[in-house]
Amino acid sequence: MSILRTEALEKTFSGAGAEAAVAAVRGVDLAVEGGEFVAVTGSSGSGKSTLLHMLGGITRPTAGRVLLEGIDLAMLDDDALAAVRRRRIGFVFQRYNLLPELSLLENVALPLVLDGVGHARSDAAAREALEAVDMAHRAGHRPDELSGGEQQRGAVARALVTGPAIVLADEPTGALDSTNSARVVELLQRLVTERRQTVILVTHDPAVAAAAARVVRMCDGRIESDSTSGATAR
Amino acid sequence: MRLRTLLVRQWRNRPGRALAAAASVAVAVGAVVATWAAADASRAGYRRLTETIAGVPSLDITARDGGRFDAMLVPRVVDVPGVRAVVPLFYRPTLLRIGDNRLREMAVGVDAAALAAAGLLALEAGEPCREDDEVVLDATLAKGLGVGVGDEVLFFARRRIARMRITGLATGDSLRWFAEGATVVVDIQALEAMSLSTAQVDRIRIALAGDADRSQVMAAVAGRLPPRLVADVPVGRASMADDVLHSANLGLDFVTALTLAMAWFIVGNAMLMNVAERRRGLSLVRLLGATGRQVRRFVTLEAALLGGVGATVGAVVGLAAAGPISAGISRALQTPATGVAVHPLLVPMAIVMGVGLAVAAAWWPAWEATSLDLLEGLASAPPAAPPATTRKLLVAGGLLTLVAAISEALMYVEVWPPRASVVSGIALLLAFVTVTPFLIVPLVRFLGRFIPDRWRVEGRLAIDQIVRQPIRTALTAGVLVVAVSNGIGLGHAIRDSVEDVLAWYGRMLKADWVLTQAGALSVSREERSADSRRLETLVRGLDGVADVEGIGVATGRVAGTVCVVIARDMPDDRPLPLEPVGMSPDEVRAALARGEAVAGTVLAQRAGVKAGDEVTVEVFGRATPVKIAALVVDYTSGGASLQLRRDAARRIFGMEAADVLLVTAQPGRAAGLREPLEANAREYSMLLRSFSELRRGIDVIVNGVVSSLWSILGLGFVVGSLGVANTVTMSVLEKKRSLGLLRAIGMRRGQVVRMVVLESIMLGIASGIIGLVAGLTTALFIQLASQPLLGHPLKFHVRLDIIAVNLLAAVVVTALAAWLPARRAVRLDLLESISAE
Ligand SMILES: Nc1ncnc2c1ncn2[C@@H]1O[C@H](COP(=O)(O)OP(=O)(O)OP(=O)(O)O)[C@@H](O)[C@H]1O
Ligand SMILES: [Mg+2]
Repeated sequence: MSILRTEALEKTFSGAGAEAAVAAVRGVDLAVEGGEFVAVTGSSGSGKSTLLHMLGGITRPTAGRVLLEGIDLAMLDDDALAAVRRRRIGFVFQRYNLLPELSLLENVALPLVLDGVGHARSDAAAREALEAVDMAHRAGHRPDELSGGEQQRGAVARALVTGPAIVLADEPTGALDSTNSARVVELLQRLVTERRQTVILVTHDPAVAAAAARVVRMCDGRIESDSTSGATAR
Repeated sequence: MRLRTLLVRQWRNRPGRALAAAASVAVAVGAVVATWAAADASRAGYRRLTETIAGVPSLDITARDGGRFDAMLVPRVVDVPGVRAVVPLFYRPTLLRIGDNRLREMAVGVDAAALAAAGLLALEAGEPCREDDEVVLDATLAKGLGVGVGDEVLFFARRRIARMRITGLATGDSLRWFAEGATVVVDIQALEAMSLSTAQVDRIRIALAGDADRSQVMAAVAGRLPPRLVADVPVGRASMADDVLHSANLGLDFVTALTLAMAWFIVGNAMLMNVAERRRGLSLVRLLGATGRQVRRFVTLEAALLGGVGATVGAVVGLAAAGPISAGISRALQTPATGVAVHPLLVPMAIVMGVGLAVAAAWWPAWEATSLDLLEGLASAPPAAPPATTRKLLVAGGLLTLVAAISEALMYVEVWPPRASVVSGIALLLAFVTVTPFLIVPLVRFLGRFIPDRWRVEGRLAIDQIVRQPIRTALTAGVLVVAVSNGIGLGHAIRDSVEDVLAWYGRMLKADWVLTQAGALSVSREERSADSRRLETLVRGLDGVADVEGIGVATGRVAGTVCVVIARDMPDDRPLPLEPVGMSPDEVRAALARGEAVAGTVLAQRAGVKAGDEVTVEVFGRATPVKIAALVVDYTSGGASLQLRRDAARRIFGMEAADVLLVTAQPGRAAGLREPLEANAREYSMLLRSFSELRRGIDVIVNGVVSSLWSILGLGFVVGSLGVANTVTMSVLEKKRSLGLLRAIGMRRGQVVRMVVLESIMLGIASGIIGLVAGLTTALFIQLASQPLLGHPLKFHVRLDIIAVNLLAAVVVTALAAWLPARRAVRLDLLESISAE
């Protein structure tokens, strides 16, 4: 069974006043298997972020369904959806992933803390996650004291810390230079190969997309192409 | 793009933030206007209250050895600051025939026309008497006799029988002020002529302006008098009302000052947040080439605009609120509401102040934001407070404490007036606020332990938020500390002084009926003594009387200081009506029996007398050494009293007459005594009042004053609450994105709300605790301040109800203020909140 599946997913932003409604996503069917590394590409405004937000339960679709591990997200109330986000999904945004008031370690531990995990255990898990992204030495620093690449690696660590079913990353490298970008991508790749972590990554960058075994191309809210290169495919 | 465009854009983009900043100024200015108007209404109410209860505040000039004196002896005193009018009084018991009734009444000779013109003689009908054959009667007496203006009265004077015409009827209240017991008003020269005593007066009553300090005027007047004459508070008049009102006025000053302090905090806080929140945006503008000065000017301009709008709205709201508040206070004081008389400069001044405050408050964070390293400014987290700030705060706290201590000490040794306690109280409070940043974090951490396990997560995050935002936390806490300490401090002070006065009153007057000497002291001492003895015997012999205690009152001097000498029976079988300081009642009783005296604490302080001293006491021109056995708490004549047993006073000074008779009835027979006592009182020119009548008068004052103070205090609390609500709301709005991020990674809506509310409540409780300590300290300060005012320290009680109400209110206000915006923040679409900047 697919870890994540969408059926005829649609999202229309109703325009306010004179503005016309925007159909950001129009009928997307997508199935993602466990351990897959999927890159979603497409031109700006093609609906990538909107799709990802629906996959992660950040926004609800106008029509269609999202099934995560067989569960229809539309059936869940807000609190249950929050619990799914907390335990089963890891998010990485383009920027401002971390709360500026908290240290890196605290930021990474946050999902566990939210889940009521004790101090000692959440800290240990956060440290482990930071080690996995090679950021353990900066655990006590605040986000402002870290470079953009370091912040993004921290965000990946936070996404991983609960052992989620799937990691959703929206242009995690969009604000980074090529070296840092490569490091983050390499990190995600390693997660897929070493831990069989499922990752969906939205990106503009063909170099980044190339790292993924499967590339989904979007255009005007629809899937234009879906190709598997086989390199890391099962 | 010009900076002004950016300003407008920013407002449009974040209307909540600009609105909250303007609202803070509105709250502050509204508070100042409303509090000011309410304090004014209270002061006016107190003044009218004193006038109705105890008459116009006044002083008497009398002969040192009693009896009449030549009015020519009195120098000019009208020009002494605080003197409203000078009223020579001449009393004469007379026989009248009105219609078919023959009455013995007390006539008083005054310059009636002048009195009426000064507003001191109020007529129900007719006009004041001017000619020799004109008379004004007490309205109640006239009604009882069925006569009115134009009717005739036969006046049996010493020399002749005069036929006089009633020209006016005076209200009892206005007569009572200058002529207690007198019912007939005649022109002073006419009465003197009829009594063959030209230019002689019994006393000269000096009416004081409402805002005059009685003791200052008394000193100034006394300084001009020849040795034969003395100036004093009218004998027998409860100057207690005066003392209560004095403390109440002090309380008013205090509340007004505190509200100003609070307003300053609220504005400072809002402006700081308004600018600090946009630090990144401002840095970006600088990055694009704006100079620091341009940015500061931009921020200052914004503050002035927001301040101007807010101040105008606040002034309007404050004025609108002032009406009902003043009316409520007048009602509480049972004085006629005269409407709000707002000083014409108050509103413009409040607006200028609001704008000035806003600009000043915005300038500092603007300066900080522009002096910040650009990179640091662009960072997303606010910088931690630099250690220099910490040191500065500690130094400021130390200095403020020093100022408070010094001014309190100067006041305690009476170099400074009691009003200085306002200075020390405010300085102390600010000192507490400056140390708040250091106390708040450990306190919050401590409180965190009591968060139930279920909410551990939210609690931990909430504590993090508090700890990581020291400046904001400190400012919010500052508003709360001021509000809570205001409530607790003044609440304690009000209750303590009221209880003190009531306890004294209960000790002093334990009787069912009280007979007091009416105004006349003119008859010779021997005559009065004889009269008094007769009356006492008569009253004692009445059926149903259990006990009669006589109190004699005279003006005297102790070691040169003017005082009231009180001679009182103090029978052994009744509780001692005194509260000695540092000596047991039994010891005092024994000392009094030996012929020693006790001095009121204020007198002791003024005359430099200690317990155990032997001092020269002058009464009726006779100087005698008397030993002071102890000091006692007393409000008679503001505590400047010397008390001794009546038998001793008779022996030492020849004080025989009782000016006051306290009559205790046998159980269940009090009511039946009214008639016989009334008959005797009339015969001997005494006033009869039941204890409950007296008590009612006191209660009107005390309750009125207390409720007026509470209402102003309540106003302060509303202001504090609005300020706190504003601050918390701004702080929640500002965290929109963080809250969205927390939800994105799986925090439930309920958890988010709980976290925000917990943060706020913890801040509320922690500030409440600091405010509690500050409030109790303030209360102690106020009490110390009352030492020179009252002559004795007030007993300090910790009042759990006041504390509980204040802390509870702090928690409820902070919880509500956080809950409402937090609910709104989590109702937002998640997508919208994470894309918020
Ligand atoms: N909240 C919104 N309200 C209205 N329209 C929106 C909203 N969010 C996105 N859109 C519109 O939906 C379309 C898809 O947006 P989306 O953010 O998914 O694009 P994207 O592929 O992620 O683009 P980019 O590569 O630039 O990030 C766009 O036309 C966008 O303008
Ligand atoms: Mg996008």
